[in-house]
Amino acid sequence: MSLLRFEDVRQSYGAEEVLRGISFEMDRGDVEVVIGPSGSGKSTMLRCVNRLTEVDAGTIYLDGEAITTPDTDVNDLRRRVGMVFQDFNLFAHRTALGNVTLGLEEVLDYPREEARTEAMAQLERVGLADQADSYPAELSGGQKQRVGIARALAMDPELMLFDEPTSALDPELIGDVLAVMRDLAEEGMTMLCVTHEMGFARSAASTVSFLDGGQVVERGPPARLFESPANERTGEFLERLTSLHGGEQ
Amino acid sequence: MSTEAADEPGEPATARGSVGVELGRRPLFYAVLGPFWAWLVVRWVHDWVLAPELNVTARETFFPTASLVAAGTTLRGAGAPAPVAGLLDWLAGGMDFVALGVEALPQLAAGAWATIVLTVVSILAGLVLAVPLSVARVYGGRAARYPALAVTELIRGTPLLAQLFVLYFGLGLTQYVREVPGVGVAVLPDTAVVVALIGFTINSAAYQSEYIRSALLSVDSGQLTAGRAIGLSKVDAIRHVVLPQGLRFAIPGWSNELVYLIKYSSLASFITVRELFFRAEEIGNATYRFVEVYTVAALFYIALVISASAVMSYVEGRVAIPGLGGKGRR
Repeated sequence: MSLLRFEDVRQSYGAEEVLRGISFEMDRGDVEVVIGPSGSGKSTMLRCVNRLTEVDAGTIYLDGEAITTPDTDVNDLRRRVGMVFQDFNLFAHRTALGNVTLGLEEVLDYPREEARTEAMAQLERVGLADQADSYPAELSGGQKQRVGIARALAMDPELMLFDEPTSALDPELIGDVLAVMRDLAEEGMTMLCVTHEMGFARSAASTVSFLDGGQVVERGPPARLFESPANERTGEFLERLTSLHGGEQ
Repeated sequence: MSTEAADEPGEPATARGSVGVELGRRPLFYAVLGPFWAWLVVRWVHDWVLAPELNVTARETFFPTASLVAAGTTLRGAGAPAPVAGLLDWLAGGMDFVALGVEALPQLAAGAWATIVLTVVSILAGLVLAVPLSVARVYGGRAARYPALAVTELIRGTPLLAQLFVLYFGLGLTQYVREVPGVGVAVLPDTAVVVALIGFTINSAAYQSEYIRSALLSVDSGQLTAGRAIGLSKVDAIRHVVLPQGLRFAIPGWSNELVYLIKYSSLASFITVRELFFRAEEIGNATYRFVEVYTVAALFYIALVISASAVMSYVEGRVAIPGLGGKGRR
């Protein structure tokens, strides 16, 4: 059974229809990369999964269970679905360690010491154990994003959502974040990533979806989609993206 | 430390270090305020512990003034030629002023205690009320937002003195407060003080909630989103993520409210609370030397206000976090 399934999901902001019937499914351990022009609904689609945005019609299933119903426990859903933000959103008043322990202590009810130990292990996992006592303002963008990943991983999620995790980073800092994401993918984490990092998509993604105008225009394995896009719009978009980024990474 | 070095990440000690530097840079400030507070404390201890049996209105001063007064009289009667006599008169006047000031000190010290109690208790109790009020304004649904708005606007839109009169004379709160055990015993506040405390607390809560509300609005909305995204409930996310940041942003405005309250507390004299202003007025009425005694009282207020600012500046430095508003800003 698929871990995540979208069934004709629709969403509008006022008169503007952002998602126009999205349907797809991904299995446990899959890494799905979503690409598409700005305004195509990529972030909205992601935010529907943990109900930061509510869907207007259609259903999303997590592990076979509908999570877009009114009686879904959203706090528990969000515990099960980790999210990494484009602009990090680290808790500015807490150290790197404190960012990771908050959820452990307040959501999972870990005792203080155990939360600390677990949080240190998560920081170790993203290579930032030595920055445990630094505040967000004292970290570089790449370090902040890796703390953001550790914070989400600490909740032991079944699914991780990445919302353009490297878009706000200087080019030389992107590598560290992508390396952590690759490790995660290899460990078998199920990941739904909105990103335009073609190198990452090529090497780590099991499937790539091209979203345009609130619809999945084309979907397939990265090699197939990148080399011989079936849809005209996909081809155009990939061409522009390649010329913008100066080719492969 | 060079500016360049301060911009480098990895120096969380900067904010705290600057407090120590500030202390060292203001020797004059401490040379004046240090003795003032030392004397106040000695005065209070003397009045409550060592000589409580003395009549409160006729406390003895620590520094006898008889010689000052005598010297003034001698100078005035010296019969010197015109310009010198004027100077001597001026000197004598100065001595009289100091003598009156010194004689007023024990009374003013007792009044200062009441002023401090009114201010400190009201600002803290007001804070306890202001936090939920402001959270209701910013994050509450209609059912929470509108009542909070109504209370805030009612309190901020009416004169504080009128509010005190309503509590004291209108509602006759005294008859209930009087029954509360402990009221007026020993150094505990008497009935009128308790009524004033209630009034100031409610009033200050309304103003503080406005400061905190605007501080909460300045916390980036992504912070609440990130808190919700790890599974925190809205209340928990506000408590653990938004408030710790918002309250830090609110400190400068909050310090302003503290400074106001020190001076507004003089309105309690209208409902018979014997605080600093009330005592000064009493002495003025007894001696008809209002200018002198009000001048001394004003110096007391200035000393209290400067002390409060210093304390808040210290607190702000202590709770500062790198990259987060106030003194931790980079």
